[in-house]
Amino acid sequence: MSFFLASLSFWDLLLWCVALAITLGVGILIVLFLSLTISQNIIPPKRRSRGSPTHLLVVLGSGGHTAEMLYMLEHMNFDPQIYTYRTYLVSSGDNFSADKAKDFEAQYGQNSQGYAHNNNYTIVTVPRARRVHQSYLTAPFSTLQCFWACLNVLCGRHPDQKLPKEYSSFYPDLILANGPATAVCVVAGAKLIRFFLCLAKCVALCLGLRTLSSFTSAPKLRAIYIESWARVSSLSTSGVLLLPLADRFLVQWPAQAGRRAWWGMKRTEYAGWLVI
Amino acid sequence: MKLCFVTVGATASFLKLLEQILSSQFLETLSKRGYTHLLIQYGKDGQQVFQNFIDSDQPHHGLTLGGFDFQPSIDAQMMMTVEREALNQERGLIICHAGTGTVLAGLRLGVPLIVVPNPDLADNHQQELADELEAGNYVISSSVNDVGNAISRAETQKAEVLSMRPGNTTLAESMSDELSFLD
Repeated sequence: MSFFLASLSFWDLLLWCVALAITLGVGILIVLFLSLTISQNIIPPKRRSRGSPTHLLVVLGSGGHTAEMLYMLEHMNFDPQIYTYRTYLVSSGDNFSADKAKDFEAQYGQNSQGYAHNNNYTIVTVPRARRVHQSYLTAPFSTLQCFWACLNVLCGRHPDQKLPKEYSSFYPDLILANGPATAVCVVAGAKLIRFFLCLAKCVALCLGLRTLSSFTSAPKLRAIYIESWARVSSLSTSGVLLLPLADRFLVQWPAQAGRRAWWGMKRTEYAGWLVI
Repeated sequence: MKLCFVTVGATASFLKLLEQILSSQFLETLSKRGYTHLLIQYGKDGQQVFQNFIDSDQPHHGLTLGGFDFQPSIDAQMMMTVEREALNQERGLIICHAGTGTVLAGLRLGVPLIVVPNPDLADNHQQELADELEAGNYVISSSVNDVGNAISRAETQKAEVLSMRPGNTTLAESMSDELSFLD
């Protein structure tokens, strides 16, 4: 063995390293593509009983995105008895969105019986993914910072989160997003967590540590992305990035319907105008 | 009162539209069509142009003019273009840049709407949106120079259609679906 290593020249070693790196890279890409394709095509079994507590995460992007999102929630006849707990995710410094979320909760979030819950929603703040006019050189770092904060929120580890005890899991059940960059971070984070949860379950199953019953809990961290009404014929950057990531992709113009990330992936659905 | 409310957007400047609105020719058209008031949100760079017009002795053609640069919400101003007999308000007109929020607000009110995309903005999907909305008969899309001729077309458009829209249940159904309820 020592003889074999010694006979390798520097260039041979470099060649082997490059070959190894390429194999590893291609391997990761294949796993990524496969897992995204599988994840989007699996229809989750119906396991949630009506009236059980559900946790909704709403991403409030900024000005126009926030206004559209809250308008849509208002006009879907939002029922706080179905979506019993809400987390609103806003970017730091975006007081407009935080205020709008409070207004929305005051108006629609409380029970019809008239008594107000103080603990059925929270507003959490994460660092901005990219400020307007921020250089593309530093943007990756702030995006990473935002991504990390979003992961924490998704795991219920943000200091402002105090989910009541009747919720069996810290993960939100459903995520609603309509852009921009923060939405991408949240949905990508949700997919990453789901990937590791699935991996952990498979390993546990193989080792015989757990039975199949751990697979039968209600689905979590499902994401719906709604493309902006302003996008008539081309997807926004967030839309393009979330095409393979969102579990459901709603568009508001017929020309946007039927798009998909690649062969075998789910297509975008035409929902009509949701903002009118 | 019959109001024409013009908004050029709060963030980007749109002086060309402002100058066109304040031109004698445009004011005369408004006056001929029975408008009594003209209110302009002139945005961040428009103050000077508006003030110059007020200070000069150019004719107002009997119109009462008002202007402001920015307000957190222009819902109240937009509401003044809705027909309300109790307030002696006739159905007015909104002329706006192709910003999504303003266009949506106008569409929700169901008043005649002229959308003027800002040619100086690189955002070409605003032009796309304006074209598509005009194709669907929701608004009149107009260039800056043609805005006077667009008024009559906007007024005759069937703006009521929008307020009659049935509730869209797609989002509620999608959310319920994703939560995978038993029934």
